[in-house]
Amino acid sequence: METDADAGTVQVKGLRKRFGSVTALDGLSFTLTPGQVTGFVGPNGAGKSTTLRIVLGLDAADDGEALIGGRPYRALSTPLQEVGALLDAGAVHPSRRGRDHLLWLAHSHRIPVRRVDEVLEQVGLASASRRRAGGYSLGMRQRLGIAAALLGDPPVLLLDEPVNGLDPEGIRWIRGFLKSLAREGRTVLVSSHLMSELEDSADHLVVIGRGRVIADTGVRELLAAASGDRVALRTSARTEAMTLLAAAGATVAATDRDALTVSGVNAEKVVQLLAGAGVPFSEVSAHRATLEEAYMELTGDALEFAAPPVTGTEAS
Amino acid sequence: MSERAVGHDGMSGRAVGHGARWVRTAHAEWTKLRTLHSTWWFLAALVLTMVAVSALTTGTLRAGDCAALRTCEEDTVKLSLTGVWVAQAVALLFGALAVSSEYGTGTIRTTLTAIPSRWRMLAAKAVVVGGLVAAAAAVGVFGSLYAGRELVLAAGFTPAAGYPAIGLGDGPTLRAAAGSFLYVVLVALLGLGLGTALRDTAGALTAGFLLLYGFPLVAALLTDPDWVEAAQRIAPASAGLSVLATRNLDALPIGPWAGLGVAAAWAGALLVVGWGVLRGRDV
Repeated sequence: METDADAGTVQVKGLRKRFGSVTALDGLSFTLTPGQVTGFVGPNGAGKSTTLRIVLGLDAADDGEALIGGRPYRALSTPLQEVGALLDAGAVHPSRRGRDHLLWLAHSHRIPVRRVDEVLEQVGLASASRRRAGGYSLGMRQRLGIAAALLGDPPVLLLDEPVNGLDPEGIRWIRGFLKSLAREGRTVLVSSHLMSELEDSADHLVVIGRGRVIADTGVRELLAAASGDRVALRTSARTEAMTLLAAAGATVAATDRDALTVSGVNAEKVVQLLAGAGVPFSEVSAHRATLEEAYMELTGDALEFAAPPVTGTEAS
Repeated sequence: MSERAVGHDGMSGRAVGHGARWVRTAHAEWTKLRTLHSTWWFLAALVLTMVAVSALTTGTLRAGDCAALRTCEEDTVKLSLTGVWVAQAVALLFGALAVSSEYGTGTIRTTLTAIPSRWRMLAAKAVVVGGLVAAAAAVGVFGSLYAGRELVLAAGFTPAAGYPAIGLGDGPTLRAAAGSFLYVVLVALLGLGLGTALRDTAGALTAGFLLLYGFPLVAALLTDPDWVEAAQRIAPASAGLSVLATRNLDALPIGPWAGLGVAAAWAGALLVVGWGVLRGRDV
């Protein structure tokens, strides 16, 4: 039974899927909740697209289930009004005009035609909507795919690599757009193989590798954990600073001719110690890990297709 | 969700009636085909090839080729509908492409997210493809018979010589007209079944052409006449096209309606196979 509590939630429970001898999904579980952008991240081949295809009822799972508002996708009678999905931006008939692609989708749900023009406007494709989709750039096809996902005004949006092919202006646009969709109370899932793409837009992360969930965590918590309590310091008197801070119990590492990374002592204490001893310094800041660094720490041993480490003299 | 001002068309989005869902699905499939230029080219080609080939063939008819017109037993109606033999290729192409192009472009995934019931999707496609081909086939059959009527008379096969003018008032002529119309629609559905089963344009067309044109060739290679007749009875094209005959029915390998039934069985069986593949496999 569907209850209000279920509306807009997506539950993935213990999904397993094999393609021949390859295990694509190995007991994958997570839950998406409304009102936030969840980044769905993992290296290429980790199982992101397979998961989305199973959620959308296109592929059958060997085991486990995926529920939208408490029901499997194929049991939804007006799916476009419950879930909007962008799977593959290239999946448009090249001879059909962009607007007509949305028109047949609208007709499948008796969505009024004015809604078609509304979403075209919303994604910035109105002026190109009467051109054939075959002439669209990848970025324009992404926008068309996003328009299709928005067509039914669904409470849940599942977007597979929506940033692919967008120009810098488009990337800025989609980040803001995703956040605004979540602010409206929608459940938004964005998959990506590049953590940096999600840096400014995701609130929550589901990180997968080899068909399993590696991390299911808030972005802030993840960053805090990866950053530790390290302090970056710039000083012209490197040796004196190192001696002084080490004596105070800190672990100090030189990162450049005039730069140090200090851990075990907070920024305030560092300033106090250096000022007290008259050691000159020009910059003290709490070190903040990037999402990319945090992600690399998490997935280091879960890469499906990792290149061997670079060795030799040319490596810097 | 402040901006969620959208069309649930008065009804709750979740309580759409069964009938309404079918209508919507057919509407979507119709819009999908309607918005491709190729659809209209195919339908025009179907009409043109049928009428043109029919007229060209009938135009070669000469009364002088027969020693005695009355005993010549020329099947002028069947001759006037020769174009069906070529137009079926266009119908096959159109039917197969209606689904195989979706696999080629990846739109099948968009289709099945909008219409998760695969059975409903395929049935709606069959209705729309069948309806469009039926409209074109009707025009083609009428055009062929009209051209045939004039050409046959001009060739000297007149009522006075024992050949009444071709008209739908005549029972066997009406059967041939209705039968060829139905046959072309069945070939389009056969193409749709093949496209759904094979999920590939090249594969579906190869299989379809072999089935329509290769099967009779194989039959011709058989030396035993009993085997030849058996092959002609089960091949979709040679059995199905027996419905064109209006004279000398005893010489046919299979009766007109029974032959059309064989073609219908092929189309039905291939649609069922297509549905089985569609239902059970990942897309």
